[in-house]
Amino acid sequence: MPGGPTGASAHIQSPSMDSLPTSRREFIVGTTAALLSGRMTRAQRPSLTAQQVADRIRASVGVPWRDQTVDGFKAGDPSTIVTGITTTVMATVDVLRRAAAAGQNFIVTQEPVFYANNDDPGNRAKDPVYLAKKALIDEHRLVVWRFSEHWNARQPNEAARALAATLRWTGADVPDAAQTYRIPETTLSALVAILRSRLPLRGGQRVVGQPGMRLRTVYLSPGTTSLASAVTNLQKADVILSGEPREWEAIPYTLDTWSAERGKGLIAIGRLVSEGPSAQACATWIRSVLPEVRVEFIPAADPYWGVNV
Amino acid sequence: MTAQQVVERIQKKLQELKINWRAQTVDTFKAGLPETEVRAIATTGMATFDVLHRAATAGRNFVITHEPTFYNHLDQTADLETDPIYQAKQRFIKDNNLVVFRFHDHAHALQPDPLVAGSARMLGWTQYASPNEPRIYVLPPTTLRELAIDVSAKLKGRAIRVAGDPEMKVTRVALGPGYGVPALTTSIDVAVGGETAESGGNAEYILDAAADGQKKGMILLGHMMSEDWGMREVAEWLGPLVPEVTVDWIPAGEPFTMAK
Repeated sequence: MPGGPTGASAHIQSPSMDSLPTSRREFIVGTTAALLSGRMTRAQRPSLTAQQVADRIRASVGVPWRDQTVDGFKAGDPSTIVTGITTTVMATVDVLRRAAAAGQNFIVTQEPVFYANNDDPGNRAKDPVYLAKKALIDEHRLVVWRFSEHWNARQPNEAARALAATLRWTGADVPDAAQTYRIPETTLSALVAILRSRLPLRGGQRVVGQPGMRLRTVYLSPGTTSLASAVTNLQKADVILSGEPREWEAIPYTLDTWSAERGKGLIAIGRLVSEGPSAQACATWIRSVLPEVRVEFIPAADPYWGVNV
Repeated sequence: MTAQQVVERIQKKLQELKINWRAQTVDTFKAGLPETEVRAIATTGMATFDVLHRAATAGRNFVITHEPTFYNHLDQTADLETDPIYQAKQRFIKDNNLVVFRFHDHAHALQPDPLVAGSARMLGWTQYASPNEPRIYVLPPTTLRELAIDVSAKLKGRAIRVAGDPEMKVTRVALGPGYGVPALTTSIDVAVGGETAESGGNAEYILDAAADGQKKGMILLGHMMSEDWGMREVAEWLGPLVPEVTVDWIPAGEPFTMAK
């Protein structure tokens, strides 16, 4: 599982480190001491601003920062002192409240905050739901920072690797086929049952392909799946596990493989469910580059329920 | 009568309706030769390979599709030339002398939009259309759960998804076509449409509204369960324009085999 031992880094700023196993305590102290030239004690916590946290992440991500990007500050004041970091797929009001209650005022989100990809509220600028969210952010002095394009540009793909870990497929990678995993031979309907048991699904598992289709290889495509990705990856994989493929692109392409007598499968589990493990893995990674800050992952629920489920 | 002449009849009718043919449009021939003699016409929500098989079997050699044929909005095929699925589809079109034309932008320009009207008719909502608010339907009071079950039963969709509290009260529904799911506002209880991005839109808005004590909902039918029906309306509209040939509807149908 990505995410590591839950709360390991939370102990850095807990009232007492005495209850920690010695080895871990030494590890944590050693790590932070190395980073802070030995000057840090618990009474002298580093004061990092949101801007400094963002700068550290940008400098560490290993991907050149793009001029045109959806990533960056979406709400709040970058000069705010960070009390803790929350990672999430989507910074809903519920996630923001939970982050505030936990004293983690810097929220790293993979998806937009204000109901549009560019976070421009547009026609909703005077909408009470939008205004209530803005007020919540102001009241708790939260800072929301989007980290999607650059996190997802890391290689190997973090989101696929994290999803594979959640599915307990780590180590089953197919050589020379990125994000593709070989599993014990099964059927499409049996794979759906496996996914249901291992993912927090409420509604969004929709399937293209005959339920009895036999399969061995699955291409993991959290988020969306472009046509080019479907065309390329179905050459090696039997099935694509996607978040939200568009229904005029990867979906009809997969459907047409059956008429061409090369039947392939596609399972759409929804964007949030598909990216949940990625946001958790992101928390683990941020801890590694900001060990002096408490970092926690807050899951966002599947927003859908299925009528036909 | 050639496929080109059928399209000219459509363009002439639109001109009478004061709808100008757009300079930039996806409504073009996608496969086959425009000068092909038309034996019969089939409209469909999407010219899937399966629809083309059924059209050829039924002797409908001119297929008018609402959505793309080659899996992208502009039907660009350069990156597909070496793909065996694409090649097989093109070969089938050629071997069966089919012609495929897309009728998307101008179909949505008709009043009322047949893609919305088709869904409304299937759902039994036509009588509830708001007289002065496009796409708004004022339904007898129900709950989101009851509405979703009723919608699913009427459309026989296999993968209909819902966001929002199942027990929320519903009367004012905004119905949009395909990817055009209406954006929820204070004056709409539930948005209904085909598909939409899960982030940066209604799903997030519904969650945030719930946290603020307001109940909002959305029913996603799936793209074809939203727009396939409207192409039956288009077939009925087109029929009188081309009395020389048969026009009927071949549903693309539900692409999903199951939802679990």
